[in-house]
Amino acid sequence: MFGLFNNNNIFHWIEKIMNFINSIFFILLLVALSFALIFSPPDYLQGDSVRIMYVHVPAAWIGLGTFSCIAMLSIINFIFKIKHFNLIAKSIAPLGLMFTCLALITGSIWGQPTWGTFWVWDARITSMLILALFYFFFIISHKLISDDEKASRISSIIAIIGFINVPIIRYSVDWWNTLHQPSSIKISGSSTIHTSMLMPLLLMFFVLILYCALIFLMKYKTEIIRIKKKNLKRL
Amino acid sequence: MISNFIFMNGYGLFVWSSFAITFFVCLAVFYKTKKTLKKYEKEFATEIQKLSAEQRKIVLDKSKIASQVLSSYSKTI
Repeated sequence: MFGLFNNNNIFHWIEKIMNFINSIFFILLLVALSFALIFSPPDYLQGDSVRIMYVHVPAAWIGLGTFSCIAMLSIINFIFKIKHFNLIAKSIAPLGLMFTCLALITGSIWGQPTWGTFWVWDARITSMLILALFYFFFIISHKLISDDEKASRISSIIAIIGFINVPIIRYSVDWWNTLHQPSSIKISGSSTIHTSMLMPLLLMFFVLILYCALIFLMKYKTEIIRIKKKNLKRL
Repeated sequence: MISNFIFMNGYGLFVWSSFAITFFVCLAVFYKTKKTLKKYEKEFATEIQKLSAEQRKIVLDKSKIASQVLSSYSKTI
């Protein structure tokens, strides 16, 4: 079973999965965009501006999910010192930062027609900005510290501290009076979003997840080659 | 109908700019990541080619990754 975690096997599977994603990605993207921009109905209150939700919400979910994943991997790496987990965390962090920034930008664009302003220092928006800062510090610690082990230790601490912010983001709309609307989709309990809007939202989320997987696999492959190249120099 | 699709009842600028920013950022990150991967593959393949025949044989026998990278790089040039 441990042979599965061998770099040679991982490399082989990365190639296969990347080819599979490449073969279905554009068809799924076209279907998701058609539903998001054409077939889904406008909102009774917000009109067509609600379509921004189809990029804003998946981007925010990915930003939050990625940081939770990095924090979990960092905790495990901190205790058991598993190199692969550190590589995974390092490879997905730029994606998380990108989607957190996209959630902030698209949210700000959505804010103008809905709230009449691009930015407010609201609990949800401010906590998302803090998440982007934690991502930035996590990435910069890997870039600035040349010793891999030290960089991994410091970035793990940043991720673990930053993880405190995740439940704050999640419950900020319940704990404080904010302009941001409460969650429409609940894992436990009934969602307040109609199926005609939920389906395009989940489709767009799935397409963006596939995109993340593709980028992650390319970054992971790059990291494996970088390590192999280092080992080659020792010959 | 087409003008409705473009102008989205006055929200067109907000909707299209959100989708366009997301699309272009995703595209830029995709190309940058691909370029970095190709750069590392090229550097790795060049270093393998620089090795003596005996050393190269040891590396290629030992590492599937090295042989895979070298063969994919040879296909591209």
